[in-house]
Amino acid sequence: MAGSALKRLMAEYKQLTMNPPEGIIAGPVNEENFFEWEALIMGPEGTCFEGGVFPARLTFPPDYPLSPPKMKFTCELFHPNIYPDGRVCISILHAPGDDPMGYETSAERWSPVQSVEKILLSVVSMLAEPNDESAANVDAAKTWREDRSKFNEVAERTVRKTLGL
Amino acid sequence: MPVVLLERIPLPSLKTYTAFCVALLASALFYAHRVVTSLESDSDPSNSATGREQVLPSDSYTWNMLFVVTTEAWCVWTLVNTAYCCLILLGKLIQKLVFGDLRVSEQQHLKDKFWNFLFYKFIFIFGVMNVQTMEEVVMWVAWFTVLGFFHLLTQLSKDRFEYLSFSPSTPRFIHVKLLSLLMVILLSCCGLMALCVYIGLQAGITIFAFMAAECMLLALRAFYVAVRYAIHLIDMNLEGIWENRSIYVYFTELTFELAVLSVDFAHHLHMLLWGNIFLSMASLVICMQLRYLFYEFQRRIKRHKNYRRVVKNMEARFPIATQEEIKKNCDDCAICWEKMESARRLPCGHLFHNSCLRSWLEQDTSCPTCRTTLSDRPPEDSTRNVPDGRGGDADVNLQQQNNPNAQTTNHFFHFDGSRYVSWLPSFSVEVTHTQLLPRTRQSVQQTSQLDNMARQVLQVFPHMPLNLVLDDLRETRSVEFTIENILEGRLQAPLPGSLMSRNGLLSEESDEETQQVTSLSTGNAVISALASPAESQQNFTDESQSELRRDDGPAQFSSRFSKSATERETMLQERKNSMLEQARRRYLTNQSASGSSNIDTRAMGSELVASSETWQFTNDPNSSSNETQTSSSEYQRHCRELAFQAAQKRIHEQRNT
Ligand SMILES: [Zn+2]
Ligand SMILES: [Zn+2]
Repeated sequence: MAGSALKRLMAEYKQLTMNPPEGIIAGPVNEENFFEWEALIMGPEGTCFEGGVFPARLTFPPDYPLSPPKMKFTCELFHPNIYPDGRVCISILHAPGDDPMGYETSAERWSPVQSVEKILLSVVSMLAEPNDESAANVDAAKTWREDRSKFNEVAERTVRKTLGL
Repeated sequence: MPVVLLERIPLPSLKTYTAFCVALLASALFYAHRVVTSLESDSDPSNSATGREQVLPSDSYTWNMLFVVTTEAWCVWTLVNTAYCCLILLGKLIQKLVFGDLRVSEQQHLKDKFWNFLFYKFIFIFGVMNVQTMEEVVMWVAWFTVLGFFHLLTQLSKDRFEYLSFSPSTPRFIHVKLLSLLMVILLSCCGLMALCVYIGLQAGITIFAFMAAECMLLALRAFYVAVRYAIHLIDMNLEGIWENRSIYVYFTELTFELAVLSVDFAHHLHMLLWGNIFLSMASLVICMQLRYLFYEFQRRIKRHKNYRRVVKNMEARFPIATQEEIKKNCDDCAICWEKMESARRLPCGHLFHNSCLRSWLEQDTSCPTCRTTLSDRPPEDSTRNVPDGRGGDADVNLQQQNNPNAQTTNHFFHFDGSRYVSWLPSFSVEVTHTQLLPRTRQSVQQTSQLDNMARQVLQVFPHMPLNLVLDDLRETRSVEFTIENILEGRLQAPLPGSLMSRNGLLSEESDEETQQVTSLSTGNAVISALASPAESQQNFTDESQSELRRDDGPAQFSSRFSKSATERETMLQERKNSMLEQARRRYLTNQSASGSSNIDTRAMGSELVASSETWQFTNDPNSSSNETQTSSSEYQRHCRELAFQAAQKRIHEQRNT
């Protein structure tokens, strides 16, 4: 039911505002609909994404936090674990029941104790350390593995693009 | 579906239609006037040009007018058309008053509902009732028009309510308007019901049943929306958690859904049996509808059985936590983040609200916090707790192979999977219950072992929270490894800062107060000529100057959480903009600091000039506050200019040296 989801989202929004994790901003796109958030994620230091600010959309189901939200980057991001259309493929966003890749244990998957903050932190660490074994973007995984300098170049371009430079 | 085809028909705009209606009505009245006056002026019947029996009923002009208008065929149609026009205008008015602009999904729902309604009622009138005379058709059409009008309004209210329940900050008057509309619909339903009785007395029980069923469906739907709305409003105005809310919600949902389905089912069955329409198109449509309703009914019953099984299971296996346990736990419910006054304890020691735990167990069978399996079945097929009661035969076989002792459980699942006895009481629940006991004992043993290990760890590290240690122990299964994990920082106690704010979040009522964020800076020093010691400001306007100097450091904002929605929106937007601005500046300084790196500095400089003109950051199309928008974009431009100047200066210096 939307009522309890709303309260929980409000609490999460409050926490993320009062005590924001470094390099992460998240909140509803529009106060009229609390189930659609936008997050800005700063590229982690010391990686090829350093300096970039990557916008993403989070869409929450009405039964949140029982079901995970969906996350999608709204900028282009060439990364092994991000689908070409921007959807993020990390285990924390998968419902306990479904396992599209068939590789993860249920311990890594969604549970109501997870939160927006934890998702975004996982995404930051995913940006830092791509998991090329379960690739959502095969091209990116291949480039990451075989031609790191080209990967870094693409990332650099993306960073500049997200900064509007 | 024919719906798609029908949608293609070009409909005239409302204005054109209204104008057309008014013109038609005027001409009809003019015609009637002419007839009446001409007949009155020359009362010689033999002179009648049309040759018809032109007898005026009375001497009164208005009565004569009325008589002419209601007897002349095209005048009658004009009146009907005018009535429709008025109804559409009324609907438009209600929409403007109560709903405002409709959202795209609402429009789509409305359209679907409208064409569906039209299609099924067409089938009803001509397929089932098989009406012959024009008067009958007109009467039925009138009835269904009124009914359809209310149906559409109910649908619209439902959609709007669902949308409003997504927002925490809806003005009160919007709720009032929507609820009063629902009340009006309900009252009209009473009126329609009275009409049903009146007509039923004259036309017989069958007609009454047909009409009453439709009326009841409408009333049930409207009432359901109203009840859910009321529950939602009560919940939103309540501080803290309303423990029984989900039970109320669940049971209203169950009752109303089952009631609607059974009335609808009976109605369709009645149609099928009453009309002699076997082996016709209409019977086919009705049969399909019946089948659909039947499956829906079955699905609902199964869901309810699953729900009851979960509740029973939960009540039997997970005891209600004592007050000491809740106190010792001193944390919120991890599912809803609300405070716990009462809770249930899982075998692994984690506490949750009764209602939160139940809704989670309906879809999964592990502890949300530590992922310990709570299932009474072997873990390999326990990923989903048979959510729809789909414990099919394959499942049973698998279980038989895996677990020869699970004889009774098999029985239970087999019973559950059979479709046609699904509303028999499920006595097998008790059978599974006895099955559970050894397993529960096992997990209790497990946890006591874990507890011992945790105690050993806590002797070394008293500051670590018990939950964390338990979690880690469950993975490592060894005291040594866990201690090593703690020593190497893989397992960290929650930072005091986050703890503090979390607590503040709970107790603090005065949100308006500014709260300083504890600086958890990681030493990511970025070289900058403009850098100065970090300062934190509260006010954005006088921040602009020093904000520039406070160049980098983690995106820190002395944040506060406003109670006003618009203020929150603007503050979020400001934070986003400032983060982007900081990132941009840092990028530029980094670029220039690294000097002749891979990017040609001159090219970058010119690019910057170009982009700083065109660039804009507005992700939020519906941003409400234009004022702050412009002021912050001005500020942005200012920042960008300064950053650009600094970068240029530095590039220049580098070139000189
Ligand atoms: Zn709870
Ligand atoms: Zn647990």
